[in-house]
Amino acid sequence: MAKLTINNLNKIFDVKLGNNVHAVKDFNLVLEHGEILALLGSSGCGKTTTLRMVAGFETPTSGEIKCNDSDLIVLPPAKRNVAMAFEGYALYPPLTVKDNISFGLMREKLSSAEIEKKTTEISDLLEIKDILHRYPSTVSGGQAQRVSLARALVRTSDILLLDEPMSQLEPQLRAVLRARVKDYIQHNKKTTVFVTHDQTEAIALADKIAVMEGGELQQLASPYDIRTKPKNVFVASFIGEPPMNMLNAQFSFDDNKVNFHIKNEKNETAFKISYDKNNIDESKIANLSNNQKLVVGIRPQKINFDTSSSNHDANIQLTSNHWLGDQIHLGFELNGINIIGVADRNFEVKDGLNVNFTSGSINLFDSNSEKVIFNGF
Amino acid sequence: MSYLELVNLNKRFKDEVVFDDVSLKINKGEFFVVFGPSGSGKTVLLRLLSGIMTQDSGQILMDGKNIDSLDPNERDISMAFQNFALYPHMDAFQNIASPLIAQKKEESEIKKRVLEVAELLKIDHVLTHKPKELSNGQKQRTSLARSLVVRPSVVLLDDPLRNVDAKIRYEMRLELPKVLKKFNTTVLYVTQDYKEAMALGERVGVLANTKFTDVAHPTQVYKKPSNITSAKLFGDPTINILRAENISADSISNVSASRIKISSNHSQLINHTNCFIGIRPEDIFVSNHDEADSIKVELRAKTPLNLRTVYLFRIEEGVEVLASVSEDESMLLDDSKEYYIKIDKKNVNYFDSEQRLIF
Repeated sequence: MAKLTINNLNKIFDVKLGNNVHAVKDFNLVLEHGEILALLGSSGCGKTTTLRMVAGFETPTSGEIKCNDSDLIVLPPAKRNVAMAFEGYALYPPLTVKDNISFGLMREKLSSAEIEKKTTEISDLLEIKDILHRYPSTVSGGQAQRVSLARALVRTSDILLLDEPMSQLEPQLRAVLRARVKDYIQHNKKTTVFVTHDQTEAIALADKIAVMEGGELQQLASPYDIRTKPKNVFVASFIGEPPMNMLNAQFSFDDNKVNFHIKNEKNETAFKISYDKNNIDESKIANLSNNQKLVVGIRPQKINFDTSSSNHDANIQLTSNHWLGDQIHLGFELNGINIIGVADRNFEVKDGLNVNFTSGSINLFDSNSEKVIFNGF
Repeated sequence: MSYLELVNLNKRFKDEVVFDDVSLKINKGEFFVVFGPSGSGKTVLLRLLSGIMTQDSGQILMDGKNIDSLDPNERDISMAFQNFALYPHMDAFQNIASPLIAQKKEESEIKKRVLEVAELLKIDHVLTHKPKELSNGQKQRTSLARSLVVRPSVVLLDDPLRNVDAKIRYEMRLELPKVLKKFNTTVLYVTQDYKEAMALGERVGVLANTKFTDVAHPTQVYKKPSNITSAKLFGDPTINILRAENISADSISNVSASRIKISSNHSQLINHTNCFIGIRPEDIFVSNHDEADSIKVELRAKTPLNLRTVYLFRIEEGVEVLASVSEDESMLLDDSKEYYIKIDKKNVNYFDSEQRLIF
């Protein structure tokens, strides 16, 4: 059993005298036994530094890292009982792929039969059976990454740490390996922290996602909540493909309706999204004032397209129509505002499409604080 | 009317064959995407076209004329790079103007042209900024502007959206074709992202194993790839390929792959006793109920994507398939119950024992 707790973790790098970089700011986390956490963000957000502090390769400036009730920070990396896969693979060059994988197991003093069994199982799973007798210098980047992942996964450890574990994988293998690795980690109940810049990977693998930016935790939530209930503009626009449409807007209301006036670059109203007061939860807009400036976020998949409905928000001309096999991306312009929507792969695209914004949900943010006001009526 | 033409091009590095007798015709004004995995020779192709590298044999024709003897600067071809390759000490204006300065154009002409292209690419407000003051998206636009400012007949784009974030990538996917159409440029766009290839290409050329294996409209390549290698390059998750046996009798072919059984009256199948079937993940229907033609499977893992959820199912020991289901449908599925899958037979691809498409 391994529960990982991080309290008020800070890391300040002293780059030059008096020129500090606050890489990780007041980071808090509780990860229950067997849970998988993704540290997600773009480069420089502090995700790898956080991981390295858990591994013991960086010393926190302040804060606590605990496994169950014991303090990890006082222990050197080798005593922490963590298994780690490195972004640069760090395979042992003089050892074969097979020996690289079994090296850690030999140190665990497992019987050779057990080592053989575990090694075979993991190499089947990651499709490296054919290269077990090769040396690291003779395998491709994608293969080396799978070996490095295998070596970390087979270890018996309290915590599994993976730094960009799938960034170099061959695109064709990615989906199936993601699924198998998730199955393996869940089956073996490994408490796991992995670092990634790829939201697809984070959403696919993780039980919880920590979105980081500028050293700060922006949001910690399940993949579903991260997508549907973003806490701020950053998380909303970082997550999602195609990205969420973020529209500057001004609020107004009268006796019957609430309106979001979508503004173009010149601050003129390009179009209006209106709701009948009877159809919405008015408590959600109780704190909004007339003319308040807002950001309206609309997920591309929440825009409804059709040709027939008379109850629509706008009639549009498509500017792009990209059929991608399992989905269709439709781009259109409404009085100078570019919007992207997603339709089902079987949707028949015709001229004279109507769009409906109000039948799906919108996300609303304050334009000054960039914090969420509500996620969907 | 073909404008840019490769005729029986061969190129090898020592023992490694990069191109084996490659021929290709690109039309005037066409947006043509060259798509292939890393190492398939995409960059070598761009180098041959731009004249930085020479082929071992074969010809490159532009507007019907052989351009092999022309130096890179004499070819009416320009290029934009994945890593932007901007001059760090020059501002955006000077970067864009640099090829015109090299051509010794008049100052007023230079100014007019730079402003024109900068406006089209929406970077006219940052022309005085140095590269380090530009966002990645603006750097990419500056690099594109520099390649377009000379009004080349052909522009080569080397994976230009690889290093920009999703928001800019989607913006540019919409804008780029429009901008390039205004210049009436013939475009050869290189990418290793199948979605980009499908979104941008009027036609896509799939470069794999020293040849263009498919050259067609993206939808056609996705639905009817010429072989298994091509098929697997498209889709996320990619196509499920299963080894199959076929027993034909009375013009009906009974194809079985593990527990998946399909009967077909297509005559093309009859002589193929051993074949492969290809099933796209979105062509597998997933249910908690046993319906006609469905088979029971074991759920191994469920991995949500942005718009769809991917299920890894085991059909039998050693045989797995990936199915992808829309988010709404996946909400209705219950992991505590039994899972059944059913194949959308009309979209199944059949490949012969040599992995070539039958239909």
